[in-house]
Amino acid sequence: MLSTEFKSVGDASWRKDGIAKVTGSEKYAPDVSVDRMWFGRVLRSPHAHARIKSVDTSAAEALGAVCLTFADVPQTRYNERIVSTPPCLYRDRTVVADKARHVGEALVGVAAPTEELAEKALRAIKIEYEVLQVITTMEQARKDGAEPIHDTVLLDGKDKPIVNNVAVQRTIDVGDVEKGFAEAEYVIERSFKTSRIYHAQMEPKSVVCRPEIDGGITVWASTQSIHNTRILLGQIYDIPLSKVNVKKVMLGGSFGSSIQMNSVTPICVGLALKAGHPVKIATTREEDMHDHVRYPSEIKLKLGMKKDGTLIAGEMHANIDVGAHNIQAFPFLGGLGGFWASLYKLPNMKYVGTAVYTNKTPSCAMQGFGAPQAHFAVECLMDEIAHELGADPIDFKLNQYVGLGGTFWGQGPASKCIIRSDGVPELLKTGAELIGWDKRPKPGSQTGRMRKGIGMARGFHTSGVGHAKASGAEMIDYSGAIVKLNEDGTVDLIQSLMDHGGGTNHAISKIVAEELGVPTHMVGLSPCDTRTSLYDVTTHATRGIYAGGAAALKAAKEVKAQIIDWAARVLDVLPESLVIEPDEDLGQGVIYCPNLAERRMTVGELARYLHLNSLGTISSSQSMRQVNCPPAYVSYFVEVEVDTDTGQIHTRRAALGSDCGTVVNPALASGQLIGGLSKGQGYALTEDNQWDPETGELVSKGFWVDGKTPSMSESPKVGDIDTHFAHTYEPTGPFGAKGLGEAAKNPAAAAFGNAVYNALGIRFYEIPITPEKVLAALAAEKSTKSRQAAPKAPAPVAE
Amino acid sequence: MKKYTVRLTLNGTPREYSVGANELLLNVIREQEKLTGTKYGCGIGECGACTVHVNGKPTLSCLELAVSADGADVVTIEGLARGGELDPLQKSFLDNNAVQCGYCTPGMIMVGRNLLDENPNPTEDEVRTHMRGQLCRCTGYASITKAVMGAGSAGAFRMPAE
Repeated sequence: MLSTEFKSVGDASWRKDGIAKVTGSEKYAPDVSVDRMWFGRVLRSPHAHARIKSVDTSAAEALGAVCLTFADVPQTRYNERIVSTPPCLYRDRTVVADKARHVGEALVGVAAPTEELAEKALRAIKIEYEVLQVITTMEQARKDGAEPIHDTVLLDGKDKPIVNNVAVQRTIDVGDVEKGFAEAEYVIERSFKTSRIYHAQMEPKSVVCRPEIDGGITVWASTQSIHNTRILLGQIYDIPLSKVNVKKVMLGGSFGSSIQMNSVTPICVGLALKAGHPVKIATTREEDMHDHVRYPSEIKLKLGMKKDGTLIAGEMHANIDVGAHNIQAFPFLGGLGGFWASLYKLPNMKYVGTAVYTNKTPSCAMQGFGAPQAHFAVECLMDEIAHELGADPIDFKLNQYVGLGGTFWGQGPASKCIIRSDGVPELLKTGAELIGWDKRPKPGSQTGRMRKGIGMARGFHTSGVGHAKASGAEMIDYSGAIVKLNEDGTVDLIQSLMDHGGGTNHAISKIVAEELGVPTHMVGLSPCDTRTSLYDVTTHATRGIYAGGAAALKAAKEVKAQIIDWAARVLDVLPESLVIEPDEDLGQGVIYCPNLAERRMTVGELARYLHLNSLGTISSSQSMRQVNCPPAYVSYFVEVEVDTDTGQIHTRRAALGSDCGTVVNPALASGQLIGGLSKGQGYALTEDNQWDPETGELVSKGFWVDGKTPSMSESPKVGDIDTHFAHTYEPTGPFGAKGLGEAAKNPAAAAFGNAVYNALGIRFYEIPITPEKVLAALAAEKSTKSRQAAPKAPAPVAE
Repeated sequence: MKKYTVRLTLNGTPREYSVGANELLLNVIREQEKLTGTKYGCGIGECGACTVHVNGKPTLSCLELAVSADGADVVTIEGLARGGELDPLQKSFLDNNAVQCGYCTPGMIMVGRNLLDENPNPTEDEVRTHMRGQLCRCTGYASITKAVMGAGSAGAFRMPAE
């Protein structure tokens, strides 16, 4: 909801980090350097699957380099993403690997006084490999006799054997699915495939580690969570957390690729500790592209319904290729199933999710975490059913979606909540009007070279992973904040929560300003580190404003109570009679008594009074977990134009709607939607990665543009994208706000798929819908039609 | 390795460096000068994050050898705001919320500035053509396009004193 009721929340102020970012003074991890710093490089496996027979670093050490091999690092396996609780945490990593499981796997770290020497030393290292069977597909991996990629993993302190390279399997059963299908009058089943794309965040992962004289370390790293990085480094290197300090530096994009501690971070720390020097590792783009990708999926979805389309049963089998390491397949599979369960009412459902190891770049979270995959299958299939039944897809979906009063699965079966705010009907109505839904062509009715089509998909993401359970949670989810009043009436907000760039930290400063009744510009975002801030789990699951903002609001409420309490004493009125409001002319918050106009003072005057009379600092430090995880609904209407000569699909127009509750940063929220469209367009139409089936090499070799990240000239024009917001207020969110970020992409691929269907009358069940696939489908259709049109021709003997 | 002397005028100031023949202009700017606003994004001219002005022309500093820039006038993102005042394009980026993570922003602004120097009122198509080599993963480009088109009317902004 765009609100005029608030002063700071919803205002159009420049983002607080804006000037630093436009002038080049903002510092990201690759920009950090410290005195006496050495440079680290990482020797990476050229083989996709190989045992290491021997490592000889003597020639490198003779050059003056320090090397970190498997023998130098702790042998206890860990999982680099400690968001999940120990029973859900599959540990298969060590700092450097004992075996090469993908091309680009880190095997030896090298540090030297110059980067040039480090690279020279790296090339002097000799490794003897015993090359093993390369497994690049899930089918190969699960065959009996396939080479095991991991023999065991560590789960809750015990060795868990890995059979047929299956990393983890999850099932969810609701109701009686067999009975449901038996009662169904119409059953449809389709198979979908989504791709294994690269995050393509602008900042390649980097890290600096400085060993301290007390045995501790200071670390500057690309990360979505400075506290989880701290905990992991403390555990791996057995350093008390009070001596592990991870500094908050700006993230140059991430999109999920730094939920986990990045692979170079512990290598850098190991090198720094061994060398006794600060060490920096700044990865190359090529290395980064070999380090992380989105989870791909193969989804078989079957839906059973009554004649009128009322769903009564559903069965989904989702297979995901995790690559060489299981970073977070367990929560991912839960998320995928839970998001499916939350899209449309299904009284009976069965879900089987299976994650399989292959010798490829490890998969990890990327904007949506199971939701884009689930949305693609479900939203395309619901569109297909609506067309089969002759129903308008909007009405068909509105009749059956999970909305107000329903149960939302925030991220798998362990975090659920009752839906208390729902802008879906408004979003679909507005989007339909903006795109001209009623004027869309009939599918397959066009014949010219250029064919236009409009598609719609809807969906959501969760807002955090909050839940009401006191124990037995699958995921950790809480945030902290410190708010303090400075001696001139300005306010410091100290919060470890990371901003991906969407403006989360700026939004939370507005929430604090709103509560305190001071102008937005008076709340400053403090630089912080793990030693001076409270724990925050990580900026993921679209939880920043909803969960992190709520923690800051809790602290601001306490600070406000103290301000009122002191002002009441100074002004000699009852605390209940006072209010605080921002005064833009004074540039201050003003505390006043509406009934006694002369009893007023600014927050700055109160702060100075407290200071000069040694009455102490007003501050609050709060930590909290949200007990809900409300859906951040989103709607996508896109118009495409398909060139039937080249197979190219152009994005022409879009109407994007968000139900994020109260909109805290209106222009940035709109920008999140448009950014989601861009990434969604890439996901739906162009982006992919391929691995050579023989060698397991990334076919692009790390060339970024081969991944086909959309550019400016491939994007819709400014005036052709509309964004709009639902008029809702989330009662459990700070000032009515819930999430937005990941939702902005989730239904994109389905909307594109449905738009292409509208243009051509052909369904695509696999993304990206590349020109090659379009041309092949058009050719297949043409040959079918010509056969049908020529009934007298002899039937083909064999196809 | 043999070292060469390279003289540049960097953001208006004459500077001299001793560099190897293979040293990149990007590394001189980032590592010797510690001007880290110019970003490494790919190292092979795919993304545009390292763009600076060399003799007034936008140049990918990751593909430019320092020795080949000898004698040149080089401007980086840090050299755009003069006398404590933001360049109108920098202000327009803020007005249009064209900054999200900010990592592509310096390169975007340097290329946009060059377009505006040649053509103060570009059309949308001109912006799209001129800036198509600059990658951004956050914004979807609409806000950036608007910022470049709106820079002519952005006006000035004096930064708070440090």
